Amino acid sequence: MDFANRNNTANKFVCPSDRQLALRAKLKAGWSSSKTNEPLRPEEQEAIISVIRRNEEIEIAERQRVGRLVERVEKIKLHAVERGPNCCRLCGDAFGLLRPQRILCEDCRKAVCTKCSVDINIRYHNSERTREIWLCRICSETREMWKKSGAWFFKGLPNYDMPVRSASASNTPTTTPTAGGGGGGAVAAYGKAGAGKGARAVQSCHGTPARGGRIKKLTIRVNDSSSSSASNSSASGQSEPEEDQLDGAKSTTAGAGIASASAPGTGTGTGTGTGTDSSDRQRLQRDESFRLRAYGSIRSFIDGGERKLSNSFFFGRQANANAGSRQADGQDYDNISNASTVAQLRREGSFMRRSSVSSSWSFSDSSGSGNSATQTTQNPQQQKQQQQQQQQQQQQQHCRDPLLGWLELAISYRESFHSLDCTLVRARDLPAMDASGLADPYCKVNIVTPEGHTKYTRWQRTKTVHKTRNPDFNETLQFVGVEPEELGNSLLYVALFDDDKYGHDFLGAAKVCLSTVHSTSQYRISVPLGAEDQYSAEAEMSQSWPNGKMLISLCYNTKRRALVVNVKQCINLLPMDNNGSSDPFVKLQLKPDAHKNKKHKTSVKWRTLNPVFNEEFYFEASPHDLNKEMLILTVWDKDLGKSNDFLGSLQLGAQSKGDRLQQWLDCIRLPDHFHEKWHCLASDNPTH
Amino acid sequence: MAEHYQIIWHVKRVHIIMAGGGDPKWQKDAADQNFDYMFKLLIIGNSSVGKTSFLFRYADDSFTSAFVSTVGIDFKVKTVFRHDKRVKLQIWDTAGQERYRTITTAYYRGAMGFILMYDVTNEDSFNSVQDWVTQIKTYSWDNAQVILVGNKCDMEDQRVISFERGRQLADQLGVEFFETSAKENVNVKAVFERLVDIICDKMSESLDADPTLVGGNQKGQRLTDQPQGTPNANCNC
Repeated sequence: MDFANRNNTANKFVCPSDRQLALRAKLKAGWSSSKTNEPLRPEEQEAIISVIRRNEEIEIAERQRVGRLVERVEKIKLHAVERGPNCCRLCGDAFGLLRPQRILCEDCRKAVCTKCSVDINIRYHNSERTREIWLCRICSETREMWKKSGAWFFKGLPNYDMPVRSASASNTPTTTPTAGGGGGGAVAAYGKAGAGKGARAVQSCHGTPARGGRIKKLTIRVNDSSSSSASNSSASGQSEPEEDQLDGAKSTTAGAGIASASAPGTGTGTGTGTGTDSSDRQRLQRDESFRLRAYGSIRSFIDGGERKLSNSFFFGRQANANAGSRQADGQDYDNISNASTVAQLRREGSFMRRSSVSSSWSFSDSSGSGNSATQTTQNPQQQKQQQQQQQQQQQQQHCRDPLLGWLELAISYRESFHSLDCTLVRARDLPAMDASGLADPYCKVNIVTPEGHTKYTRWQRTKTVHKTRNPDFNETLQFVGVEPEELGNSLLYVALFDDDKYGHDFLGAAKVCLSTVHSTSQYRISVPLGAEDQYSAEAEMSQSWPNGKMLISLCYNTKRRALVVNVKQCINLLPMDNNGSSDPFVKLQLKPDAHKNKKHKTSVKWRTLNPVFNEEFYFEASPHDLNKEMLILTVWDKDLGKSNDFLGSLQLGAQSKGDRLQQWLDCIRLPDHFHEKWHCLASDNPTH
Repeated sequence: MAEHYQIIWHVKRVHIIMAGGGDPKWQKDAADQNFDYMFKLLIIGNSSVGKTSFLFRYADDSFTSAFVSTVGIDFKVKTVFRHDKRVKLQIWDTAGQERYRTITTAYYRGAMGFILMYDVTNEDSFNSVQDWVTQIKTYSWDNAQVILVGNKCDMEDQRVISFERGRQLADQLGVEFFETSAKENVNVKAVFERLVDIICDKMSESLDADPTLVGGNQKGQRLTDQPQGTPNANCNC
């Protein structure tokens, strides 16, 4: 059996290899090269379809089972009181000498009492050593759920249907809103049948039938090469040529086989919709070692920042004309849609996975008239199947964007109060912001009206969760005064920022279409985080920085072996004098200083809040030292006759975060170049 | 209801239409929701190595020497007890023939375990094992577990692949190895039980005891949290 040459469609006029010829002789299969590609006969198709149907029944039952598992965990979570570190997160009992013993849960690191936790013995797989750990009931149930649902294997929860309690539930499998949920899992399912080269998962979030009776469906294809396979991929980047040949052949016939299995007459349209990205696809397929990795293994993302990631994700919407839920349900593993989408993979080696490509993802209603211009790939195809008359229209939409992580939300609308409750459940796999690969994320939330404006001037924000890239916010923000008719065309906008006293760095943003939100049920959704856009900028602007900003330019001069600091200018400084102005100057020092540089000071700019300094200072230091040192800048108001007033401070160094860390590292990595950036000034004085 | 159609140029012996999926036992098993875990397994290998027979032996304890080529794909469901857990197995039987390859490879992605089968009386099927491994690597999830199985070990007189060769290949591939006979019911159950065990181990490993994951977590949390250690050691007095 020769796998390299088995798809003769690649070039049927080239003589097959000796091995294949020998094999053919043995098989007595004849010598016609078209033999191997003969389409499936009707009875064969029937047999296959009947198997697929049987499987569908199992899949539906399985989805409902997983839904019940998820619901169970959610129920337990609902009963948690979360009163802070001194009380059990579940029962709320306070800890103390005579009170319940305080136990830290291994997974969530929250305090629980002995009653509400279980201890399990775990065994390292390569040694006989066992270790006892304690888990709170939520986390132990979550682990159980991960095991039982298979999420442990697929690194994310599979598709599930939440059990429906309402009496109006019909007999047909309901398309309740399913979304990544529970233990931080995304919905990961298998999407593409044929060209399975590139690793991918499909995340399907089905909305409940919207008010207009439409079925909404969002399909997100995730392409992610995990850290473990990053090394593989480089090793097998130049895989054997025969592999390539296979891939080439595959991409032309990808999905054709299966499409013809169900629709022999219409098997022509396969793969045509992907004209624009077929080259991308081939490129991707060549890189054979991509492994699928949906987001969200319970802890696998808390790894250090150095891991390489290449992500891209796709969005597609399917509107199903006659609401064939079987189709819309998007079978986990046998969704044999022949839509193949592969977006360009972006590899970003650095742990700062900031995007340079600015694009956002939006929902566009495929049943509506205008598909947005961002839709680059359309794959409309109609399949007429022999027994079921289902028309399936597929539209693929993808944007090329590095994945900045995932956010899990639960949205509900209370019609009587006209209030929209948005629960930010958790985020996963956020970009790292400091040198240890962590971040201090918080969310800012607003509603974007159809006109493209933010509805509220005040952005609501969650508390900051410190030192994690996988924060559990579990915080509900309430938007009052949202009219029911507004829901249909508004977006919920969530921007995540890194909390730091010298400026809040952007982590990721997501938009959620509110048209799927119902007043009756909570709408849970897991969304990928995209890049910066106008709204996130707006959110960032809404943060007030009373101490003003400073423009700093850094350069490491290799000739003089010194760090050159150019203090360019400041804006919006605090007025400290009676005349409504200040007389600012900047003090600079390097700490801890191996070379005993003296402290520097700029000249005083009299009576201004926006001083322009443009003064350069040299600090002797080796690049190696700079990795440990911190540049401290303080802005002062010069007062004659009394002590100077403090106006603001800024610290730059390897311990900084976000933009400041970036500038510092750029300066070391790319010496003899000036790296210029604006920074916010903090109100505390670090030299005190 | 899975029906197997004969492919004229491939039929060797008697033609019998097998009606595998329709019996009540299957229905009971498939509808049974009373289980803890669900594992999807896939049996792959060259055409006519005995994949379908192997599955029928395990799921129905039946055997027929008639050769009927599987059309595309088929599956059976069986619930087993393992370590006081009920495990529902959805075992996919794939067609070995090339022409169904696009269909069969579509199911690789969902499979947690693979039974890679060759025929000890067929050199070609043994030589193809490497190709099948490539297929698994290409299409399956990267933590899928594989067991190599040499089938038809009852046919000693026609054997061309020794047990030793099979074992060596398995060692080389880093997978476990069994020689089985679906006809004589040798090792059939053992293969499935072992595969379930391997997957169970992998499962507890991935969640409970992966030192890298645990380590990563502790590293990430050290800055804000209490000193590490089990609560027993962490006395509050």
